Amino acid sequence: MEQQQDPVIVRHRELERIANMALRAGRIMMECGASVSVVHGGVTMIARGFGVEDVGMRSGYASLEITVHAGGNTITRMMQVGRLGVNHRLDQAVRKLAVRVSHGGMSVDEVEGEIGRLVRETPRHPAWVVALAVGIACASFGRLLGIDWLAFGAVLVAGTVGQYVRHQLLHHGMNVFIVAGLIAFLAATLGGIGSILLKSDTVSLAMMASILLLVPGVPSTNAQTDIMDGYPTMGSARAVWVLMIMVFASVGVWFAETLLGLRSL
Amino acid sequence: MFELLPHLLHQAVFGALAAAGFGVLFNFGFRALPWCAAAGALALAVRTIGQDLAWSLEGASFAAAIVTSCSVSALRKQLGPACNAVALAGCIPMVPGAFFGQALLGFLSVTAPNLVDAEATLIVAVQSLLRVIFTLGAIGAGLLIPAHLLRNQDF
Repeated sequence: MEQQQDPVIVRHRELERIANMALRAGRIMMECGASVSVVHGGVTMIARGFGVEDVGMRSGYASLEITVHAGGNTITRMMQVGRLGVNHRLDQAVRKLAVRVSHGGMSVDEVEGEIGRLVRETPRHPAWVVALAVGIACASFGRLLGIDWLAFGAVLVAGTVGQYVRHQLLHHGMNVFIVAGLIAFLAATLGGIGSILLKSDTVSLAMMASILLLVPGVPSTNAQTDIMDGYPTMGSARAVWVLMIMVFASVGVWFAETLLGLRSL
Repeated sequence: MFELLPHLLHQAVFGALAAAGFGVLFNFGFRALPWCAAAGALALAVRTIGQDLAWSLEGASFAAAIVTSCSVSALRKQLGPACNAVALAGCIPMVPGAFFGQALLGFLSVTAPNLVDAEATLIVAVQSLLRVIFTLGAIGAGLLIPAHLLRNQDF
């Protein structure tokens, strides 16, 4: 009983709640594709909004750490980060919340409730809309690369099917690199077969265009941003991740080309 | 100049479609998607003009990223903190994913048994990989430099 009324312990518990809530916001931003400097900025704004005097942060690829200091008390907490993806609307919503919190006047409970509400209610496009949009994007990429019109439809279908299956596999928790390899094989095979059946002259290009949904454009630019912002460890980790995705995707295309007789094993 | 117009229009239209398609994947809202498409069209138009002027892919991509980032920064009152993300979505169609794939497939070919022309295969693979590194660097730098100089807000 005495322990619970100890002002140091009470203050530590308050700081812990602030640290964990700020880390949760940071984790969401990180998982939504924000760069490290943005994550640090958002987390710092939230912590300072609750009167924290000093904030120190460290970001790894799979975890975030924060040290907060206020009123002579200091605590350090760590939180794991999940799979890094891109979710623009949720990212922007959490950034707006960080600005609101930084102005003061919100309780920890209110902010926790608001973060939960944003995660639940921020809209996402339906999976079929995303699949179709990605199919159109792949076919458009293909035109930029030089595929002929005969292959356009084949790449559109291959990209659409590839994205839909990728969404389902990731939703079921399959490893992201294995998914990249499988989807590259599936999309390249579909794009290749379609192009051959439609008598396209650009079969190889069509197969390559079909897998462009796997190219991690945001992580590759984030890698550079992080390094330029002074976080080379995180930037290097992102670059290695990008390389691994492309290695798996290339192996998938390799097998697809072998299956269609365009390459020998 | 006018004979280049159909090609320029083609590249801009498909750049816009690719950027908007990836915008949907990145969960941009419906109000932001036209801006992504416009940024994609602008980026591809500038890159195409650069390549038509015999610039390298890397140089043309750098110019395209700079122009896109500056143009989107000029619209930051309308777009708010999302302007950097819109510029990035616009530059996604310039990410040399196909070269990346070709480079890795080339390296896989070098290790194959009974390879006929190993040197040529290796050189093509290395060229593709270097092109990927330099182009990605050009796009990243082209996006970041104006955003830093113009002090675009992240929040």
